This record gives sequence, structure tokens and C-alpha cells, in this order.
Amino acid sequence: MRRLVGTLGLVAAAVTLGCEEQLIAPGDCPDFCPNGQIVLVDTVFTSVIERDSAYRGYVKAYQSAAATATDQPAAQSRPYFKLDQMFTSIRVSAADTTLVPVFADSSRLRLAIVRPDTAAPNLRLQLYALPSTVDTLSTYADLDPYFNGPIVDSVNVSDLRSRPLIGDSATVHAWGDSIRTDSAGHVLIISRVDSTWFIYFSLDTLQAPLAAPDSGRLAFGVRVVADTAVSIALGTNESVSNGPVLEWFYHYTPKDSVNAKSDSTLRAPVFDSFVFDPPNPALDSNLTIGGTPSARSLIRVTVPPALRDSIDVVRATLLLVPVAPVNGLVSDSFHIVARQVTTDLGAKSPLNNEPAGNVVIHPGVADTVRLEITDMVRAWVILDTLTTTAFMLSQVPEANSFTEARFYSSLTPAFRPALHVTFVRRFPFGRP
Amino acid sequence: MRAPALVVLSLLVAGGRLAAQDSQFGIQGLGTPGKQESVRSRSAAGAFAAFDAFSPLMDASLADIRRLSGSVTGATSWRKVPADSGEVTLRGTRFPALVIAGPILRRLSLGGGFATYLDRSYGITTQDTLVIRGDSVPVSDKITNDGGVTDVRIAAGVRVGRALAIGAGIHLLTGSSRIVATRRFTDSTNYRPTTSRDEVAYQGMGASFSALLDVGRDLRLAGWYRADSKLRADLGGRTVAENDLPVSYGSAVLWSPGNQVVFAGSAQWHNWSVAGPGVYAHDTFNWSFGAEIGSVGSPFRIGARGGQLPFGAHGAPSEAGISAGLGRQFAGGRGRIDIGIERLQRKDDRLTEKVWTMLLGVTVRP
Repeated sequence: MRRLVGTLGLVAAAVTLGCEEQLIAPGDCPDFCPNGQIVLVDTVFTSVIERDSAYRGYVKAYQSAAATATDQPAAQSRPYFKLDQMFTSIRVSAADTTLVPVFADSSRLRLAIVRPDTAAPNLRLQLYALPSTVDTLSTYADLDPYFNGPIVDSVNVSDLRSRPLIGDSATVHAWGDSIRTDSAGHVLIISRVDSTWFIYFSLDTLQAPLAAPDSGRLAFGVRVVADTAVSIALGTNESVSNGPVLEWFYHYTPKDSVNAKSDSTLRAPVFDSFVFDPPNPALDSNLTIGGTPSARSLIRVTVPPALRDSIDVVRATLLLVPVAPVNGLVSDSFHIVARQVTTDLGAKSPLNNEPAGNVVIHPGVADTVRLEITDMVRAWVILDTLTTTAFMLSQVPEANSFTEARFYSSLTPAFRPALHVTFVRRFPFGRP
Repeated sequence: MRAPALVVLSLLVAGGRLAAQDSQFGIQGLGTPGKQESVRSRSAAGAFAAFDAFSPLMDASLADIRRLSGSVTGATSWRKVPADSGEVTLRGTRFPALVIAGPILRRLSLGGGFATYLDRSYGITTQDTLVIRGDSVPVSDKITNDGGVTDVRIAAGVRVGRALAIGAGIHLLTGSSRIVATRRFTDSTNYRPTTSRDEVAYQGMGASFSALLDVGRDLRLAGWYRADSKLRADLGGRTVAENDLPVSYGSAVLWSPGNQVVFAGSAQWHNWSVAGPGVYAHDTFNWSFGAEIGSVGSPFRIGARGGQLPFGAHGAPSEAGISAGLGRQFAGGRGRIDIGIERLQRKDDRLTEKVWTMLLGVTVRP
């Protein structure tokens, strides 16, 4: 008996002290569930957004990472760039200070299409020569005569894309990748990393002259045309790796020699930009986002007491009613992102780097825009009730294009911005 | 000094969590009332609780303690409840009773300890589909409640004659429960999960009176009465709920026809209906009958019980059970181990809950 009790006692002790708890079971409601339940409330706060404003001038055309080239009935946009100077004479050796003249043989210009338009048939890029006096302040009207002048070179990108891929070892060694080429010597390489289309133009000395009075500076404008309306974007110097690049091929004859030596050198733009027509309209009482120079809209929110009393926000959506559909083609679609204002200083408010929400804007669509900003509103309500309850709306990519969105502001009561919030009421703790 | 300290220490270490076994029937009410019984009593279905000084039910029985003693009860339950997919087995380990007592005068003993008054530990999950913003959004909720109300007792038992002992005690009802309510959305892209958590503190008071009467050598009678005040639920220092607590009373009889066998039976009433209609409370009556067979040093116990639980949306759920156990003294009677097993069935029109409980009790008399 003693041994039996001892053994059973040990078993009971082991079971009693070593058992892991499991108390969660599917609820058989309402009879066997707590009376207190999680209650959701879904409501649109129509008057919590106030003192909203738009500001322009954040990013200018020459500061953007891409430049739109478009040809459509309602808009024209043309990228242009000026290349850095090219030396016209060269020092042959470090010991000899004598300069010998350099003679250009040819050049190769690389442009990068970072946003192609694959739907546009017969898409062509046309290269125009611009005077070396162009600068970042040049306007569409200033440059338009040159775009109506002779074409330096033209490439049919659609045709180039349809050409067979050449991937023999000699080609890959020379170009770094498989290429497509046409009879005029244009080359297309599609990046394996980000599908950027790199277009190479082979230019002779008439198309790209090395002129000593201009210190070898060349300026080009690019126009895109197709059988239908078309819109693409070219990479710029600000994108680091997708800007225009001109490779000069030249020769010179060293002193005391009769044999010419050949060489090449690369030149990047001193600036690149784009011009468009019609220009963006001036700011008005509406909320403007986008365009070039870029416009942003500052939205200030007064968090209503109903939200302060709630325990959690599960979804918050900003509702914006467009004044009119965005002008442009489908390929001109862009994002609008919301960034939390860390300190409200108006137009120059510092912003949180992390976007609080983003939405894609499609040109031609007049629907109400819904921007999800749940995490930001949740933080206002729960995490830090002293934080600035404002955010800035901006376009991404910014200042790449003439496209801009305009929404009614709080000055238009019928269509003012609103906050659609789904929140959870305080759980009835303590009540059986 | 060393022996009492050892008793207190060992019992406190063992008494990590004071709660009874949970029940789905307590979710909508104030909780599941604890069984204020030692393992020795509970192995006989509670029939001996009124006569057992280590069951916190009656104070008069403390008068029988002639030496500083302590006892702790441990219980592990496996509970099966029906679910959509069949049955779910729930597990829980509790230390539902702890008693320390000893004589301070020749006829007067003092005692105290903890016992579960109401257990409020449960967890439920539910699935639903809500229409939000015109879309059907599936959600899953989880509400867990961990804690309960503990009865902290200080009591005295005094023998006023050879045949009569009386006792009284005051009860501080205290405790807390940590509640976590979580909702998750299947559409986690648009809807963030939400979690609310807080801790509710409970407070109440009570007093108890009891008497033991020996009628001859073989028969002993017991009667007890207890009144509890309101149970107040506080959240951050603010009272969010208040419920009246019941008056309880009961009686028991013990008959020992010989040295090797003892029979006991008990009945008790609780007017839980005063707790209010919002918690679906009902008055309850519970009975038990049990026997202890064998020598005092190593008895075998068996018993059966029946009655009601106080909370149920469709009337008072019934509870019936049988139990059995063994006990063994050691160290010349200075220590005792009791083990037991209990089978309970609780049911109403909607739900049947089956519970196996393994019991382990340790009593020390240094």
C-alpha cells in the first residue's frame, strides 16, 4: 500500500506540476462567450481635415531622375541635355608639355528609356541638335524652333525591338550583353536588372561635330513620335546610371611621329532637363500634387474625440475627390504617397522618410482616390497622442513629368477631403 | 520557529496559482465557483469537507487541530468541450486550496489560507464575417481571461465543550484577471489586427460561522453559514461592475460505525441569483456522499456528488461526479500525501462538459 501511494503520488506530482495549460477553445456564442465583444465602428469623418494647402517648387525638371518625352494631342514633352566639354588637344606624355590637336572620328550616344511605352506602334526617337547656349531655364518656346529643324538622327525603337537578338561571344565581349541592331548601326540592349532599354546612336562628325569654339560641348533634344499618342521617360544624370552618355572616338598624331593614335573618352551631361507644353496651371485653392516643378499638398488632421477614445484603428483611408481627371496617357500613371510631417512648418515641414501610404493615379480616371494611411492614423491615436497630425502628399516619381493631380480642398465643402476610419471601441473590460 | 517557517515556505512555494478548474459555464457569469475542499475531502466528493480542518469550507473544524499544520491542494484537469470540429480537450493546473492552522490556546485554534472563490480563466476563439465598407471581411477573434477571485480567510475554531466546537472567519475576496481581446482580419493588407488588454481587480468581503456537534461517539453533525458582500470589479481604480454575492449555508453528517470505515454526507445551498440577471445567475443546491475505508494512516476514499452550477443562459447547469483516492501518512504522522481522481460531468440543454481531474495534496505537521 505504501509503495502504491508513493508511486501514484509521484505520478500525480509530475502531472500536476508539469502540465502545460491549454484553455482556449472555439467559442459557442452567444451562450458560452463573454458578454463583452469586440465592436467595430466604420465611419467617414468629413470635417477633420482642415488648413490644407498646396505648395510648388520642391523638385525642378533638371533635378529629376527621369524626363518624360511625349507626343499626345493635349501635351508635348521633350527632354534635352548638354554634354560636358570635350578636349580639342591633348598632351602626349607627362614629360612633354606640347599639345597636339585631337580629331574626332565619330561618337556614340547612349540614351536610356526607363519607362517604355510598349503599346505605341512604330515608336521612334528623334535626336535634334540644340545650341550650346541652352540651360536649365530654357523654355518650351525657346527650344521649339530647334525641334522643328533638321533631325540629327532617328531610330525606330519598335523596329529595333523586333530585330533578332545577337548574342555571339564577340558581340557580348564588345557590348557586355546580347544586342539588337539595325542597318543604320543603332543598337538596343535591354537591361537584365531593371528592363531599361539602352539605345545607342552612332554619330558621325557632321551629326556630332567637335567644335573648338564650343569647347566640344554638344546639346541635344529628344523627341518621341509614334503612330499613336505616346509617352516614355528617359533616364537622366540624376539617376546615376541611366543618364545620357556620349563616347567620343578620336585620333591624334604624337609629336615626332607620323602614325596616328586612336582613343575614346566618355562625356556625361552637365545638366539634363525637359520642357513641356502646355505648362502646369498656377496653384489655386485646390490640392495639387505633381507637375514640374513639383507641387505637394499639406494635409492637417484634427483627430476627433471619438478616435481618441477608441482603443485601436484597424483601417484609415484618405478620400480625395479629383477636380478633373489627370491629363496624360495610361503610361503616365504615377503614385501619390503620404509622408508624415514630423514638425509642422508649413511648406518646408520636415517629413518622415517612410511613406505612410501610396496610391496609383491613372490619367483619365475621375473616381474618388482612396489612400490607405492606417499605420499613421493608428500611431496618432494610440502610440503618441502628442505627435503632429499632418502629412504631405507628393508624387512619385517626382518632377518627371507634366502630369499632376488636383483634388478639392476643405474650401469646397461638398467635395472636401475626408477620413474614412474603421476603429474598435474600447473593450468592456471588467463586465462579465 | 524553524518548523512553522518551513511549513509556511513549503506551502507558499507550492501554492503558485490559486484557482479551481474552469468551466465554459462560467464564461458568461462571474466565473466558476471553487471547490473549497482538500484532496482528502475531494476524493470523497466533498462529503468530508465540513469535518476536515484542511478544507477551507468550515471554521469550526479548526478546533480539532492540535498542532501547527499546513496543507496544499494541487489539481490538474483535462476538460472536454464540444466544438464545431468535434471535441476540444483543455488542460489546466491549479492549486485551489491552501490552509495553515495551529492552536494558540488549549481550546482555540487559528487558521488561515487561500481558496478559490471564482475562477475566471478561459479562452475562446470565434470566426465571423463582417460587412465593412460594403465588403464581406472574415475576422477571427480571440478573447482570453486569465485569473480569478481568491478567498483569503482568517478563521478561528474553539471547542466550547466536549461535544461542541464553533468557528468563525472573515474572508477577503481579492484577485485579478488579465484580459486580452484580439481581432484578426483575413484581409491583413487593408485591416490591421487589433489587441486590447487590461487587468481587472476584484474586491469583496465575507464572513462565515459554523458549528460541529458530536452526537455520541459515532455521529457528528456540522452546520455552516456564510454571507459575502458585493464583488467589485475595478479597472484602473474605477469601479466598472458590481455584483451581489450569495448567502451560503449547508450541513453535513459524519458517521463512523467502526474503526475502519467512515461515511459522510453533505448538502449546501447558495443563493447566487442575487448576482443579477445580467450574469444569468441561479440559486444552487449541491449534495455529496462519501466514505473513507481503512486505517487512518492509509485510507481509501470514494464518493459521489451532484448539484448545480450557478451560471447558465438556459437555467442552472447540472453537475455530477464521482471521485476516489488514497492517502498515506509518513514520518510518524507528521506528513501525509493524498492523491485522488475525479470525474465530473456538467451539462445544460446546449453543452455537455466532461472533466477528469487528478488531485495531489500534501499535509505537513512539523
